[in-house]
Amino acid sequence: MTLPLRGVRVVDFTWLGAGPYTTRAMADHGADVIRVESGKRLDRLRILPPFRDGKRLDSLNRSGYFADRNTNKRSVTVNLKHPEAPAIILRLIETADVVTSNFAPGTMAKLGVGYDEARAVRPDVIYLEMGMQGGYGPDANVVGYGQTVSALTGLYHLSGLPDQVPVGTGTNYPDHVPAPMHATFAILAALRHRRRTGEGQHIDLSQAETMVGLLGPAMVDATANGHDTMRQGNLAHDAAPQGVYRCSGDDRWLALSVLDDDQWRALCEVLGAEELAGDARFSSMRDRHARHEELDAEITARTTARDAVELMHELQRRGVPAGAMKDYRDLLENDPQLRHRGHFVVLDHPEMGPSAYNAPPFRLSSIDEPVLRAPAPLLGQHTREVLTEVLGLSGSEIDAMTTDELLA
Amino acid sequence: MTAATTGPLAGIDVLELPGPYAEYTGKLFADLGARVTLVEPPAGAAARGRPPFLDDRAGPERSLWFGYFNAGKRSVVLDLDDPDGVTRFRELVAEADVLLDGTGHPRLMADRELGPAQLRSLNPRLVHTVVTPFGTDGPYADWEATDLVLMALGGLLSLGGYADGQPTRAYGDQACLAAAQFAAIGTMLAVLEAEETGAGQLVDVSAQESVVMAHENAVPYYDLEGVVRTRNGGTPRQAAVGVYPCSDGHVYLLAKGLGVFWPQLVGWLEEEGVEGASGLREDKWQDDTFAAGEEGKAEFQAVFERFSMQQTKEELYRQAKAHRLPLCPVYTPADLVANPQLAARGYFVDVHHEATGRTLRMPGLPYQLSATPGRTQSGAPRLGEHGGGSLAEPVEATTAGAPR
Repeated sequence: MTLPLRGVRVVDFTWLGAGPYTTRAMADHGADVIRVESGKRLDRLRILPPFRDGKRLDSLNRSGYFADRNTNKRSVTVNLKHPEAPAIILRLIETADVVTSNFAPGTMAKLGVGYDEARAVRPDVIYLEMGMQGGYGPDANVVGYGQTVSALTGLYHLSGLPDQVPVGTGTNYPDHVPAPMHATFAILAALRHRRRTGEGQHIDLSQAETMVGLLGPAMVDATANGHDTMRQGNLAHDAAPQGVYRCSGDDRWLALSVLDDDQWRALCEVLGAEELAGDARFSSMRDRHARHEELDAEITARTTARDAVELMHELQRRGVPAGAMKDYRDLLENDPQLRHRGHFVVLDHPEMGPSAYNAPPFRLSSIDEPVLRAPAPLLGQHTREVLTEVLGLSGSEIDAMTTDELLA
Repeated sequence: MTAATTGPLAGIDVLELPGPYAEYTGKLFADLGARVTLVEPPAGAAARGRPPFLDDRAGPERSLWFGYFNAGKRSVVLDLDDPDGVTRFRELVAEADVLLDGTGHPRLMADRELGPAQLRSLNPRLVHTVVTPFGTDGPYADWEATDLVLMALGGLLSLGGYADGQPTRAYGDQACLAAAQFAAIGTMLAVLEAEETGAGQLVDVSAQESVVMAHENAVPYYDLEGVVRTRNGGTPRQAAVGVYPCSDGHVYLLAKGLGVFWPQLVGWLEEEGVEGASGLREDKWQDDTFAAGEEGKAEFQAVFERFSMQQTKEELYRQAKAHRLPLCPVYTPADLVANPQLAARGYFVDVHHEATGRTLRMPGLPYQLSATPGRTQSGAPRLGEHGGGSLAEPVEATTAGAPR
């Protein structure tokens, strides 16, 4: 079978962190995603590290931060501030099934390519905007990035150790999974509705709300019980011990969870700690929860000289959930499971050369062609191709638009 | 009901085998109008025993964890270890559009002769989504996992936590939830295909890989530059980038790095007459090596805290908004429930929970679809509310005294 979104066209204004993963999920599965970019209002990810060999070389095409979000897309440059820009963009939108933007609310309308203009030329268009806090409301125009959204949504407050400052995930997490994946899901649902009824629609997604929804139990604990869930480190309701234990080597750790008494005995055996197995302080799950700090100290004393990967294998052989904490070198070079699954795919990029890209984390059994086909586009790489093929413009028309700095 | 009230997925019939890996997938489908039916074992889904509990009292209908993730779904009870239960399950599968297996142990289904091939033979258009810790094949396919273990093996744990202390995971089983979100996309792709062609397929989702997707830029950092990113929580990354205390909690300030807001920040602190603020205009602050060094971070922190410790997080947020500066409060759940922006969008919704007779206020949909908005249609179902066998031993609440 061919890719499921073949024949779907997306005119894509997304930039920075959260937007481009939305349309990447569509591009990887066959949609024709046309990035509308401008050298005059650059997607700043194009000039943020990492760069091939650590060198930007004044290029707009060497950032891995940008590249991993933009596989299988085409790039067209249009100077959005040019008076002729709305006309040419609306001609593209006329051919599009989906329009996407994560500009600040109101920006698309100000540029003359808002939802009303788009549906005037394409009545059944699906038009997604994904502001940090949604398209309306008193704080719709607050400036922000993934880390500030993490703070705003409760992810910080709830993540880390209770007696230390909140830490979140250490990344702009809402940008990478919650916001883009909810956006893609909403678009696909709207596509399904359109296929059945012919009706398009506008989608107003709030990036912050996608993250709050993933913290739902803490929210309901507040509304129903008046509780603040607070930070709980690595503890869990159903496992004790559960934690991250230091092992031998530089910053090497073992994550493990003991879900029942059999696993507890297995852990004690693997650690060579018969004395712990017989220690009345830890004999039941209830005891182990209650004395988790003492317990963690006892375990750490027995893991610090051990190899995390060896312990992981021994524990897994005994059916105990355990995993060595992997860093990103480990994942790229030395993870047998990811290698087996083909998670990292090398694509040859014109400026960056062969580079690693993440494959989608799911496999559709009927797809019989590669999902990762083309690396990220160079800025404006497909301007001529798209204007010729999609809009039927002639070479001399395109030349004139280029000279006029419309296509810049 | 029309599509406008039930959402764009009206008419899609989803069966869900409950488990940590797809409970949110089912919720995403239910909120957009699909009919999602939990197929629970006689003892109930394990999540019914998961804290927090309503009024802190355990009971199979009192878990707020279950109550949130399963709002809008139906429940039937089937014993899949009993031939009658298997027969009934096959009948349900024959009529369904989607089977979501979120147990993380699909081999249990294969052992009951309910594996992907057997189910597809009952229903060739079935989209069968299997969400597992590591995917259905490969050397780890049969390994045991929990959310914490997946955060470790997916790499994100190495970026979370304290620079000089232990790595910590995010709250709320975000590894399982990441898998559930990707599962929703994979499932929707397969549904679109099945509705066009009549052919279903297997959607094989790996939670480990889903966590790897959250790497931010750590994968290309190693691939392109040979740099292994590590955690740096607990202290600011550089002057004016990180968590700072205030009188009633913390705020996150981002005025350097991605944010190019240093002049606004200094202007604000000067306006407020903060001692030492004008020193932030010196050239040295434009030097990233200084701003990211211990001396620069400490000097900035001293100046900023002179101001921030006299202000609440809400006051700082209000002033930062006026200065167009990315500073956000570190909100608690209670703060969010009271937040005017979320209120203006009608984000929190009141859902009646019949099993307890209570109305639960919970997060609603994070997107507003103009033609087919969808909504959380009902509270979480009673065990077996929509049919199935009699209740055996109900699921037991997990240990008292355990964390929430």
